[in-house]
Parts: sequence; structure tokens; C-alpha cells
Amino acid sequence: MAFPGQPVPGGGFYQGGYGGAPGGPTFPGQAQDPLYGYFAAVAGQDGQIDADELQRCLTQSGIAGAYKPFNLETCRLMISMLDRDMSGTLGFNEFKELWAVVNGWKQHFVSFDNDRSGTVDRQELEKALMNMGFRLSPQAVTAITRRYSTRGKITFDDYIACCVKLRALTECFRRRDTSQQGFVNFQYDDFIQCVMSV
Amino acid sequence: PVRCPVPASHRALPPPQGFPGAGQAPGAPYGQPPPGGPYGGPIPAQLPGSRPGSVGPTPPGGRNAPPGVDPEAFSWFQAVDADRSGYISVKELKQALVNSNWSTFNDETCLLMINMFDKTRSGRIDVYGFSALLRFIQQWKNLFQQYDRDQSGSISFSELQQAFSQMGYNLSPQFSQLLLARYAQRSSHPSIQLDRFIQICMQLQSVTDAFREKDTGLVGNVRLSYEDFLTMVVTRML
Repeated sequence: MAFPGQPVPGGGFYQGGYGGAPGGPTFPGQAQDPLYGYFAAVAGQDGQIDADELQRCLTQSGIAGAYKPFNLETCRLMISMLDRDMSGTLGFNEFKELWAVVNGWKQHFVSFDNDRSGTVDRQELEKALMNMGFRLSPQAVTAITRRYSTRGKITFDDYIACCVKLRALTECFRRRDTSQQGFVNFQYDDFIQCVMSV
Repeated sequence: PVRCPVPASHRALPPPQGFPGAGQAPGAPYGQPPPGGPYGGPIPAQLPGSRPGSVGPTPPGGRNAPPGVDPEAFSWFQAVDADRSGYISVKELKQALVNSNWSTFNDETCLLMINMFDKTRSGRIDVYGFSALLRFIQQWKNLFQQYDRDQSGSISFSELQQAFSQMGYNLSPQFSQLLLARYAQRSSHPSIQLDRFIQICMQLQSVTDAFREKDTGLVGNVRLSYEDFLTMVVTRML
């Protein structure tokens, strides 16, 4: 079963596993990677970045483009999405993965933001999410659009926050759906952990 | 089988939504109020302090409180309703609430609380909702202080473990670890402030209810489709 959040062919949300070990020693070619420059500028000795540093890093890299930079809470969410060792920080490989994912989402947003206002409306959000493959029930769509819209508009930042949450939940579910049937048997403990870690 | 949290009659567990709370004076983070105090200026930096034996000065106003509304709650309502719209928004609420480290309450917690007391689903609350919200916060603040055994102003890993246990949850240490990694400031002794504590407990209660609803046989296990899973979580957590 194909899971939502997967981009059009060519993308790589789930392929290639989860990348290398978080942070850790530099690998050949890392220094040449343009992203590494942004990362190294904010990461400390431990080669990890926390939410504040991620915010700075993303702002400096200009990934938000014409849109306002991410708020701290969104950065925190992004870290938790990829933070497999539950350290509350990202290493360079995780950062690279995040970058690719966010870029993909940004392209999507831009394609819906026709008037370049930096916001999309509820219908456009719903369309964008469906487009990304998230099969959402009507109640889920209502809850999401209510949560992420301000006066009927969703900003780029909130859109990213929404995508992060949906992707993290999807990943949680997918990891447990070993037979790829689209069903999971959840124990209470595991369910709580899955859901509250997002 | 799962040990479900103890019923709402238990003293330690906050009553379910709707909170018929005791009408106590709203609380502030414990410890001394900041220099200059919260009582100057049109908008208080925090709700009045509840130093032992005192109620704390109330901002001016509070006259002509609507029927059934405590005059003190009304005067706070007027103070927090910065744009005088007659309603309190997430933004206004956020500016009125602070943690023990003087950080304002986070957006998520304010949103959860507004949604809980917002009957019209408009994203803001009227004076009645606000009045109930104040009581709600006071109850959580009391619990928080109870679990903050060393009175540090925040809740550590072991204090969180014990809080869950006393609330009737049977959750793994790994879970507490996860919450701290997610919500605590990065430090040698990570701990959780009042706003995050409220958020965690509210969400925990909500998803536990959702789980129990599906687990009709009470076996501690539910089988969910991807769509059901998303719907359950999204409607309860946001």
C-alpha cells in the first residue's frame, strides 16, 4: 500500500531508509555539500542542532524564500519528525533529509498560492493535502483546517506544521503496519507513545 | 490488559471536561512576582499571585459583572480582553499567562484551552468561558505544584513519572523520556513548565478517551485503519 506524503516519482520520502547516524563524524564529501555550510554555522561541537539553531539555519538558507521564516514551534515539530534517537536534536543527515522534505512541500504550497500572498485558503489546503496522498475523513479535514487557518487563511508556516504532523503520524502508523495492509493493532502504551510524540 | 486511568472521582485526577471547579482565585506562577509587579499597567503580565493567605489585589473594574460571574474573574476578563471585543482570543490569552520561568504560555496550550471552553467554535471565549478557564488553570496549577516535589517551578523526569502514576496512568519511563525530549528546554536537568504540563495532560486524557471508545472489549488493544487512526488523532490532538 502506498503511503501518503510520498512525492511524485523522483522524490524520496521513504526510499533509502533513514539516512546515516545522527550527527557523528564528517564523511567524505560532506564539506562540499552546500547545505553543510548552513548546518555547520549553527551546530556546536556535538554536530547537532536544536530547535533554535534549526530556525536560524533554515532562515539563513532562505528555504522559506519569499515567505516569512518558520516559527520556533514549527521547528520543534520538524525536529521531532526526524529525531529518531529522541535527543531533541538533528544531526547533519537528518537535517539534509528535512531539507529535501520541506522543499517538496514548499513547491506544493507555491503551486497553490496563485496570488503569491503567502497564504492559501481552506479549499486549497484540502486539495494540497489530498494531492500529497493524505486520505483524510471529512472530520479530519475540518479539524485540520480549523486548527491551521486564521481568518480562513493558512500561512506557509502553518502549512508546514500541518504537513509535519501528518507525515509524522503516517510514519508512526507505517512502521507498525508490517504487512502493509493499511491496518495496525495498537496496544494502549504504544498508541499513546506514537500519538504523543508527534 | 491496559490499566485504564482511575475514574474522575479520584482526587488526583482532574474531573472530565466541564470542570465544576471550586471558584478559587486564579493563580500565578509561584515564587515572587517580578519587580514592578503584574498589577501595574492596563494588561497584567500574569494572573494575580496566590501567596499564602492572600487573594492578591484585583485590577480595577469588576463592577457590573454578568450574573453568575465572579467579580474578580470579570475584572481579569476585562484586563485580558485587550481589544475590548468582549471575547478573549488565543493571542490575548497567551499574553496573560506565564510560566515559572517567565516565558509566556505556548500557543498550543492556549489553543487547547480556548477550544475547550469555546462553545461557539469561533476560536475565542466569552466571559463565562474565561471564568471557567481560570478555575481550570487553578486546578492544574495545584496539581503541578503537588507533583513538583522539590518546588523548582518545573517538573523533572522522576516527578513526571510519579505524576502519571498518581493520575492513574500506567506508562513506560520511555514515554516520559520522550515527552521531556520533546518539550523540555535542552539542559543537564530537563524539565517541563506548567504550560506544557497542562498540554500533555489534556492530550493524554483526550487520546486515552479516544482509545477507550474504540476498545469496547476493554482488552487494551484496538485495530485501526490508517484513515481511522488519522481521524482519531487529528480530531483529538489539534
